[in-house]
Amino acid sequence: MVRTSAGKRWALPVAVTALSVAGLAACSSGGDSGSAVPGSGGGKQDDLVAAAPVAANLPAGSTMEKIKKRGELIVGGSLDAPLLSQQNPASKKVEGLDADFGRLLAKYITGKPNVKIVNSASETREALLSNGTVDVVFQTYSITPERAKQVAFAGPYYSSGLVITTKKDKTGIATPADLKGKTVIAGANTPAIPAIKKAAPDAKIVTFGSDPECVQALKQGRGDAYVQDEAVLLATAKQDPTIKIQGKPFTSDPYGIGLKHGDAQMKQFVNDWLKQIQASGLWAKVWKNSIGTVVEGDAPQPPAIGSAPGSE
Amino acid sequence: MNVITDHLSEFGHGLLLTAELTLLSLAGALVAGTVVASMRVSPVRVLRAAGMAYVEVLQNVPLLVWLVLAVFGLPEIGLMTGLFTTSVVVISLYQGAYTAEAVRSGINAVPAGQGEAARALGLTFTQSLRLVVLPQGLRTVVQPLGNIAIMTLMNTAMAAAVGVVELTAAANRVNLAEATPIWIFVTAGLAYMALSGLFGLVTGALERKWAILR
Amino acid sequence: MSAPSSRLLFDEPGPRARRRIRIATVLAVLVAGALIALALRQFADNGQLAADRWRPYGTWPMWRYLLEGLRSTVQAAAMAIALAGTAGVVLALGRVSPSRWLRIPAGAYVEIVRTVPALLLVYVVLFALPRYGLDLPLFWKLVVPLSVSNAAAFAEIFRAGIRSVERGQLEAGLALGLTRGRAMRLVVLPQAARRVLPSLVSQSVGVLKDTSLGFVVSYAELLYSGKVLANYNHLLIQTYLVIALVYLVINASLAKLARTLEARQRTRPSRSVRQAVPTAQP
Repeated sequence: MVRTSAGKRWALPVAVTALSVAGLAACSSGGDSGSAVPGSGGGKQDDLVAAAPVAANLPAGSTMEKIKKRGELIVGGSLDAPLLSQQNPASKKVEGLDADFGRLLAKYITGKPNVKIVNSASETREALLSNGTVDVVFQTYSITPERAKQVAFAGPYYSSGLVITTKKDKTGIATPADLKGKTVIAGANTPAIPAIKKAAPDAKIVTFGSDPECVQALKQGRGDAYVQDEAVLLATAKQDPTIKIQGKPFTSDPYGIGLKHGDAQMKQFVNDWLKQIQASGLWAKVWKNSIGTVVEGDAPQPPAIGSAPGSE
Repeated sequence: MNVITDHLSEFGHGLLLTAELTLLSLAGALVAGTVVASMRVSPVRVLRAAGMAYVEVLQNVPLLVWLVLAVFGLPEIGLMTGLFTTSVVVISLYQGAYTAEAVRSGINAVPAGQGEAARALGLTFTQSLRLVVLPQGLRTVVQPLGNIAIMTLMNTAMAAAVGVVELTAAANRVNLAEATPIWIFVTAGLAYMALSGLFGLVTGALERKWAILR
Repeated sequence: MSAPSSRLLFDEPGPRARRRIRIATVLAVLVAGALIALALRQFADNGQLAADRWRPYGTWPMWRYLLEGLRSTVQAAAMAIALAGTAGVVLALGRVSPSRWLRIPAGAYVEIVRTVPALLLVYVVLFALPRYGLDLPLFWKLVVPLSVSNAAAFAEIFRAGIRSVERGQLEAGLALGLTRGRAMRLVVLPQAARRVLPSLVSQSVGVLKDTSLGFVVSYAELLYSGKVLANYNHLLIQTYLVIALVYLVINASLAKLARTLEARQRTRPSRSVRQAVPTAQP
């Protein structure tokens, strides 16, 4: 056989090694990760969990008992929603309001804050719940009567809404009616698209894949305004002084905790837990730890359990 | 099925935009590809190197990354163009890299005697390329160029990710409103197939007309 | 660098031509340099070159995060290549089969799938299938549409390979008493696969690039990891520039591999020839 050592010429392993080495070299020169994002209060999270309650007893044969046996709560959620459920690339921890509530619920059921987040695209949440891939969904999941036909909603645990953002110096766009005939930026596949269509049918909607892309597009003048959930935009507007949130939310989106359709027992259980953490002040602490890092003042009044149509 | 008829104008606009994106990008790709292929066979070493670097860099980064980079990055270096224009330019340049490879193989397929004859007649490099080699070379690669045309059509769907409401994005938006995905996506798929069928016919006709049997 | 063709269109430049080329080169380099400098200045004026906008990409946690994304990219690509490659062989065999019951469906599959964008297939798996009770895990939401669409491309490559193998090879196999299936498997396919190896590698690079559609299904591959990072550090342009660089390094290495294979194939006789002709021990 006259085979020469072909392995030497394989460039891929070399390239990968080179990359890793570059990374390692960079590591030694730099300190911790650069710009910190508001809402990433690492230490506070542990305090929250320490103060969180654990359910005294779980009904035999219930979903909760199964979760406890497994030892972790499987949550349908996001990794890229600042202040709500955003992965910190340095610590790999998921931070924010939704993420904290998920951890607290996990502790309530299993005694430990062990959560596995299944990154779910917003259109598939109903399916994920009904086929049992996830136990609960914490993902800016607005309670609507239509969705309630397919899933059960505990909560609402937080009330948000869509807001309009513009460049700082822009005037004349403050209410949804002002969007008439304007070019409006929205996240692809977000509830903002139908909401804009309803408020201003002749507005031209331009969509991009992520929040930073939408913000960049707004700053570059690719649209007159950007419509997005308030919780997401609060962080962005705080961090970037060149854009400004105009007015108050023009929709009311009560976030619910998505559960398997028909699991009344678990819905009751989760609602009881929500009432408990609202009464004990833990709810307010979770708010302070996430949204409260960019909004002045005290935590708002949490929405009443079962108040949103679809969550009764 | 009335989901489709109710939203015929959305689908129509999407289809039109897809066709425009494809044709403009294809024209751009042909120009870019021919220029780059010519650079790669030119006597100037810097041009050859630049042509090669162009093909390497463009082909080895996903189109989606190029689109996002161009849409958000170009305004930062002072080049602000609309989303449609940016998409056309990026897809042209991207497909241009593939076209360049096809055209170069066409140039290589031209018998050496043709180039020698052109030079013997006293034609310069540009003249012999333009008048003798390229016309023959391009004819032999009609089929590969037809494949590139279909690939371009497929790739225009990526423009959906940067806010161009072409056919795929239009289908997706109709689905968001109507939530009857299967009919909507099947319709879009059929529209794509019809468009590529058209390209196939044109390519076939051109090939029959121009093919040089060797 | 200088392929045989590059000598086709010009003679070795003489002294005057060389001087002209030198002047043109210097001018071109100057103009290109000036343009790049201008773009960079604009870029810097917009604050995009500020050190603190780049510092995160000099730290290990960011790179670790990106490299994990790259690992997911490679995993998804490897699975999609394996599935699409296997399906491609089957489809190619179907297309050259004497039975029309195999030939027609295989041909129809290739012709249809070849003309539907991968993104549309991704949307079908993402939005349509869950409504009919089929909700795949994220990994498969990316891998399934990529495999479906690339199977057609692989099938065409294998078919070209099979057709390039001389008919006599198959006939010789049949004459030796092999069944058609065994003759294909033992005689034709190995030769065909060898001949199309470079195309297989470039198609694989294409699959690797296609995994960037994970961006749409939120599968945590390289581009989606970039999206999460940009959401976290708000450094959109810097993040995507770094991502583009990573793709470039990986894919350029694979492309180089393809060229090396191609060159080796041109210079070395095929294995069957080597084995038939006894070679001297080195």
